[in-house]
Amino acid sequence: MINILVPLVIIFILQLTFYSWWWIILVPLALGFFEKDSAFKASAGTGLGVFLLWFGMAVYQWKNGGEIIVTRIAEVMGVGSGFILALATGLVGFVVAFIAGYAGFSLRKVLIKEYQIS
Amino acid sequence: MRLFKTILAFAALLILINLLNNSQGSIPPLGKFLNPFAGFWQNGEKLDHMDEVLDVKGLRDEVQVVWDERHVPHIFAANTYDVYFAQGFLTARHRLWQMEFQTHVAAGRVSEIIGKKALEFDRMQRRRGLLMAAETTIQRMDEDHETHLILQAYANGVNTWIETLTPATLPMEYKLLNYEPEVWSTLKTALLLKFMAWDLTGRNSEMDLSIIQATLGEDFVNKYYPEDTPRTDPVIPAAKPWRFEAMEPDSIPPAFIPQFVQNLREGEPDEDNGSNNWAVSGDKTASGYPMLANDPHLGLKLPSIWYEVQLTTPDMNVYGASMPGAPAVIIGFNNDVAWGVTNAGSDVMDWFEIEFKDNSYTDYFYMDEWVKSDLRVEEIIIRDGETVLDSFPVTRFGPLVYFGEHKLGNGHPTGLAMRWSAHNPSNEMMAVRNMNLATNMETFYSAIEAFEAPGQNFAMISREGDIAIRHNGRYPLRGLDQGKFVRAGRDTIGEWEDWIPYDQLPAISNPWSGFVSSANQNPVGKKYPYYLGWDYDDYERGSRINDRLGDLKKIKFGDMQDLHMDNFNKQAELMLPFLLKQIDEESLSGDMDIIISDLHSWNYVSDPHEKAAWVYGQWWLRLEQAIWNDELTIFGETRKIPTRSVTARLLLKKPKLTYYDDITTTEKEGRTEIINQAFKQTVLELTDEFGPYGEAWELGRARGTDVNHLLSVKGLGRTGLYTGGGRGIVNATKKDHGPSWRMLVELGELPTAKGIFPGGQSGNPGSPYYDNAVDNWVAGKYYDLHFLDSTNIDLNSKLSLTRLRNYQ
Repeated sequence: MINILVPLVIIFILQLTFYSWWWIILVPLALGFFEKDSAFKASAGTGLGVFLLWFGMAVYQWKNGGEIIVTRIAEVMGVGSGFILALATGLVGFVVAFIAGYAGFSLRKVLIKEYQIS
Repeated sequence: MRLFKTILAFAALLILINLLNNSQGSIPPLGKFLNPFAGFWQNGEKLDHMDEVLDVKGLRDEVQVVWDERHVPHIFAANTYDVYFAQGFLTARHRLWQMEFQTHVAAGRVSEIIGKKALEFDRMQRRRGLLMAAETTIQRMDEDHETHLILQAYANGVNTWIETLTPATLPMEYKLLNYEPEVWSTLKTALLLKFMAWDLTGRNSEMDLSIIQATLGEDFVNKYYPEDTPRTDPVIPAAKPWRFEAMEPDSIPPAFIPQFVQNLREGEPDEDNGSNNWAVSGDKTASGYPMLANDPHLGLKLPSIWYEVQLTTPDMNVYGASMPGAPAVIIGFNNDVAWGVTNAGSDVMDWFEIEFKDNSYTDYFYMDEWVKSDLRVEEIIIRDGETVLDSFPVTRFGPLVYFGEHKLGNGHPTGLAMRWSAHNPSNEMMAVRNMNLATNMETFYSAIEAFEAPGQNFAMISREGDIAIRHNGRYPLRGLDQGKFVRAGRDTIGEWEDWIPYDQLPAISNPWSGFVSSANQNPVGKKYPYYLGWDYDDYERGSRINDRLGDLKKIKFGDMQDLHMDNFNKQAELMLPFLLKQIDEESLSGDMDIIISDLHSWNYVSDPHEKAAWVYGQWWLRLEQAIWNDELTIFGETRKIPTRSVTARLLLKKPKLTYYDDITTTEKEGRTEIINQAFKQTVLELTDEFGPYGEAWELGRARGTDVNHLLSVKGLGRTGLYTGGGRGIVNATKKDHGPSWRMLVELGELPTAKGIFPGGQSGNPGSPYYDNAVDNWVAGKYYDLHFLDSTNIDLNSKLSLTRLRNYQ
């Protein structure tokens, strides 16, 4: 659970302040790097955290004044509804964070192994 | 293995970042776009609410803004600077992307946004000289202190709004196209004005007519492309005497066959750009007060072309439609005057074939010697590509728009230069400002003198009871037919030598009929001593308006609304009975009998439910093609065909015209044959497209109206609107073109006005005010326009107030 909540909270604060979508790459990368034990925790944990954050935030925006824009963009993008659009948003976040988390974890393993050999 | 996995993970991540951070063709950068903290999710606006108090840097005093129920800002400022600053600030709040995008289009800078696919478009915009014209115009405007102040105040307001934006609050289209707004400059307003001039005067039939004349003869052109469009009731009654001594042009250019053949109509503005306006004196109204109506017919887009606003200072109180990107009110009213415009249609753009010494295009032949041209170099920035430098010569006949490999018989390179009145520096902004301040007919006339391009028919009413119309603009002094064909740009013959004096332009005030009107038809009868042009709109709308205004008495708003929405098809009234008589009923098959029966019983009113209206329009289109397309397809392109009224006159009066025969077939077709063939072809083609004759053939369904987004993005527009009207009909609603702003004004003790445009105040597709007026526009309804008095702001539940506090 903590592996989901930590990225969720950190990215939430950073994105509220600095907007950029790059936080869903950088934070999972860093968290993955500091995850010692499990590749699954590093990738799926951060991925799920970001999924929940992006999906949740999208639904919040949608239901708080965003009905018109969401309906229009759903049509523009050829998806049936705002819910699917919010789901797609969450999934994009999940995939990015998942790969970034795994990349961070892998990097640590490579670096630490090389360090141990030397 | 671990290293391999790591490399693989990072490679996947980089690919993903590249895909999601950059646009992929027309797909936006999904990482940014879907980001719920800054992407499109942030563009929802439940109420489009603005704070009650806002600190705004750059104001000189406090400005009060009253928002009405449709989100029209009524701006109350203590001084001129602040009112235009606030107009810029608030217009940008609602329309920033649209304003900026339109000026990018005008300047030929679309490649900066969408990449090299817009390069040819940008190149043509530059060569047509829109940017060049805007640059000289802004110099002229800056010379006038007040104009400079107004433009700069507006620009400062826009820029102050831009400074408030965050990645989250950027208009959605910037996110869709993945770019950011730049600083607004006064040049952008000048660009917008030049773009408006291009949109309204940029039609070119010279090359077509030159080719037609060279191929089919002078007689053909004289007969079928006449100066006097049949049946036209001119804007200024033909009987009006002209009591002035007219200037004579020095020389009439001789016939000339251009060797440089180019389709000048490629990329020209919509031929349906036009409008209706009329003014009625108090003698004809129920209230005894004068009334005015206007509806400019333009391409229908979202965000809407117009933005409603009321501007109030101690010396001004004006309401109306403004153009996002330009200060002041373009079409509107104040306490004392109301005005509306229609496109003048007089010819202000001529084409000249220029002979150059060599491929450097630095010297051209003029008055028996080689004269230096100015070489203009344009830098076209391409998104994700290398910047393109495009150079073209500018001659005394204007910029060389088309040139290339073509050589004259003597081996010299050649090209086509465009002389356009809007290339001249002018100050339309001052005209608009002074129109907004006008207090009577005289001050209004004095104001519009500076409105040089585009030429417009200004109809106006005043509280003093005057009604007037003026064919306003700057028109070159020319001989008959000068400007109808491409000419040789080699000497002074055919060159623009002077302008028609302003006080000799066609105008009339307070005619005995009690009304004035215009609908883009020929402005004058044969008595008028100057040649203004020939390619005016057909007679139908103008004639219908005059018929109705002649009949109407004790006119009320409802009568004016009915006339705006009038769907009577005069052309059908003239031609349909004749065409139906030619139908060989024995030869009809399938649904044709029922269709003919419906056409017989049709009352010529093109209401949306009328199937006959759709069939008739399509039949006429195919009939025109059957008559003209064979002869007029020359050098592989179908040239300009004669107007509806010319074709109608021929069909009615000339049973044996040789042009009825289709020269591409061995059979000999006559009038009756082509009428029958065109009908059958129409029915067969419409059946293919819409199925058996039924509901789908109704005008409102088969054609209807689409109000698309400026970028034509599906889902951001309103499509399939159930509309009537059409070409040649007062309600000139068409597929994606039509009345862009309907306004009615009565000038009593206080002005009373109604209006509507097919969109909404906001340019944000996520706002309820983006398209909230569309359904009412379709239904022919109007909104009351609240002309508020600064001393009496009644804040009822419909109104809300924002105070813009000056913050240093």
